[in-house]
Amino acid sequence: MTDARPAPEEQVLEHYREQAPGEPPAHLDAFILAAAHREVPAPKPNLWQRWVRACQKPRWQVAFASLVGVALMLALVQPAPERESAGDFAPKASAPITKKESMQAPASVARSLSTPAPAAPMADFAAPAPSESISAERADEATVSKRAAVPVKTLDEQLREVLRLQNAGQTQAADDLLAALHKRFPKENLSARLKQLQKN
Amino acid sequence: MSALSDEALLARYRAGDGPAFEILYARHRQGLYRFLLGLSGKTELAEEVYQDTWLSLIRSTSQPQGRANFRTWLYQIARNRLIDQWRKHGIHNPLHDSYDEQLHAVGDEAANPEQLLNLSRDHQRLATALHTLPADQREVFLLRAHGELDLPQIATLTETPLETVKSRLRYAQQKLRRLLAEEVLT
Repeated sequence: MTDARPAPEEQVLEHYREQAPGEPPAHLDAFILAAAHREVPAPKPNLWQRWVRACQKPRWQVAFASLVGVALMLALVQPAPERESAGDFAPKASAPITKKESMQAPASVARSLSTPAPAAPMADFAAPAPSESISAERADEATVSKRAAVPVKTLDEQLREVLRLQNAGQTQAADDLLAALHKRFPKENLSARLKQLQKN
Repeated sequence: MSALSDEALLARYRAGDGPAFEILYARHRQGLYRFLLGLSGKTELAEEVYQDTWLSLIRSTSQPQGRANFRTWLYQIARNRLIDQWRKHGIHNPLHDSYDEQLHAVGDEAANPEQLLNLSRDHQRLATALHTLPADQREVFLLRAHGELDLPQIATLTETPLETVKSRLRYAQQKLRRLLAEEVLT
């Protein structure tokens, strides 16, 4: 059994809630509600609405952002160029070329001759710095494929190719290749270098 | 939407939903006005502070902070505005008066349950009885009666220890009960 009546002290509170005078005047209610309606914060537009609005007021940022967006889309949509061929070239970039490998690639020699000459000095090609070779080994796939796109045949490799062609009896091809090398490296004493390679 | 909490309604208003404010206003208009009228004792001042309070809420972008709920926050704004007005008009702030709580703890031995049913309903007498209370007790009583804040919320709002709030409310209730009952009996 519980007493439903409030405690005497609570009754005073209730009494005041029920009997106390005082209502805000109607004009004050109207004024405050009108102010609230007048100053209601503008609803925040969502991302799409903001984008549309920005496009309606053309600005260079929008144009630039659109351009970047399109470029990114194209980059994503286009297939990765010559990923397979990059794979073929990648090991050659860092590992020394063996005789077997040089035998397999007469076509690649011709291709390399038709490409512009490398700007770096020959010493760089002949003896790559150890740190470079280490970094090449550690480089990720993207780096490797980038490097593979650049022809990396050194003069010595191409001279070996000349020797190989001579030994195989393809003298015409050997002479053509040598002539091309003379044109490409006019300051080099190719005959002496060829002899040096024959001894080795 | 009327089932939403005060905090949710405020958030909706801040997000551009005008009708949410109307519900919020309807919930608190009477309680806040009576609190200000009871504490200030002057209709003109109460109306001025009441209007200021709501306008500052409309124009503010802030929300109740920490553990404070909307109701506590609203009454806190109103209280601060009233104190500002007292200061501005050179009126002594009665809430800063210190007094011995025990001196205002008048015994209530004469009261009995029958007398409680005969509390005066005369508006003038209710207001007069309220103004015989020390301001601190009156404030706690009004926050409880019209603000419907619980005691820990009142303690937080007035920055007063909880035990002090409890005793102020108890003394205020006892005194009011005695005053209103006496008025009926005479």
